Amino acid sequence: MARVLQGSPIVAEVRRSWLLGLLLALLTAGIVVALVDSEVSGTGAENVGESGPERPAVTPEPGPDRAADAERVRRRCKATQSNPGGTNNYIPDAPPRDSLGSGFVITGRVRSADGCRPLDGVRVQVWLATETGGEPDNRASVRTGSDGRYRIETDPTVPQFGEPNIHVGYDDDEYGEVFIRRVVDLDDERAVVDLTLARDG
Amino acid sequence: MADLRAPALGAAAGAVVALPLSLALTDRHFADASTALALSIVAGTLAASALAIQPLLARGRRIARHQLLGAVVLGLVLVHVGALFAESSSDAWFALSPDGPTRARMALIATLALFAVVALGALRTRLPLAPGTWRLLHGYLAVVVIALGIGHAVLTDGALDDAGTPVLLGLGVIGLLGVPAAHVVRTRRARQRRPSSP
Repeated sequence: MARVLQGSPIVAEVRRSWLLGLLLALLTAGIVVALVDSEVSGTGAENVGESGPERPAVTPEPGPDRAADAERVRRRCKATQSNPGGTNNYIPDAPPRDSLGSGFVITGRVRSADGCRPLDGVRVQVWLATETGGEPDNRASVRTGSDGRYRIETDPTVPQFGEPNIHVGYDDDEYGEVFIRRVVDLDDERAVVDLTLARDG
Repeated sequence: MADLRAPALGAAAGAVVALPLSLALTDRHFADASTALALSIVAGTLAASALAIQPLLARGRRIARHQLLGAVVLGLVLVHVGALFAESSSDAWFALSPDGPTRARMALIATLALFAVVALGALRTRLPLAPGTWRLLHGYLAVVVIALGIGHAVLTDGALDDAGTPVLLGLGVIGLLGVPAAHVVRTRRARQRRPSSP
């Protein structure tokens, strides 16, 4: 190998200039740090994909135990924070829809940060890219039931900028707005996105 | 006997371009894509193929084809990025932001390195750099462009999944091996041309 590179101007340069070698080593280290520091799917974009049978929602029934009820009221759950990219391709006031196709489900539970109780009748907006259109074409408003659960079926997801994204947002008046971006795998059948909403102020 | 090296190399280069492009064009994600996304996929796929070939075009004294392909790669990457902005500017800005995913950060660094390596090539005679320094910087930046550009394509879900992944990895290996190979060939040829010392 040494014989092959005999007379190589690069080898001679590396031997001669330690400063250039140091510069390139620092540049390489900077690139490695920049990559290691990033999150695989973007900041805060957890993978919320699931496959297989849906798990039934379990809601604690109010019982005769007054102490337990009082404890529940005092509880405070951590509010869901918006994450970067949550408002990408958001168009306000998605139309109410029962379905955006079939083959994939977006579901989750919405509860109040104050008391951790399920929220009934809250409007949640969802949008995603599917086999039949981009994010602006596949958006819907859905409302939670008495157990705080919302659910909408869509066509199967497709990658949007390199990965299937699910957007879920809340921006009505009663609670502070939340816009989140989550990811799933291409073969997932369902995305589970729970929201905990807090009042402003 | 006629020299068959040139036709063989031409056929190999054709395969390097045709194989990933045919995989991308026949993938179901390409069928679902909008016009802008389809343009972005084609430009990105051709750029990946060109990155594999590009170092090997620098092995001889005549580098006109190497320079031309360098300009083509730059053009393809600009079309790729421009088409993504046309597809969704908010997703494109997000990808370029510090909160973007790892694959986008790889693409951003590879693109910046591509700008630098093309500028270095275009300004070669005007820069006050020793030949060895210039070649070291040019080769280093080429490795960054190939490694992170192909890495970006591998981590991206879409038209080059499944069989596309080993093909992309193959392109990366060819490109990365091509950088030192071209240097060795150039060095050997320069030594052969040099008059032997008495």
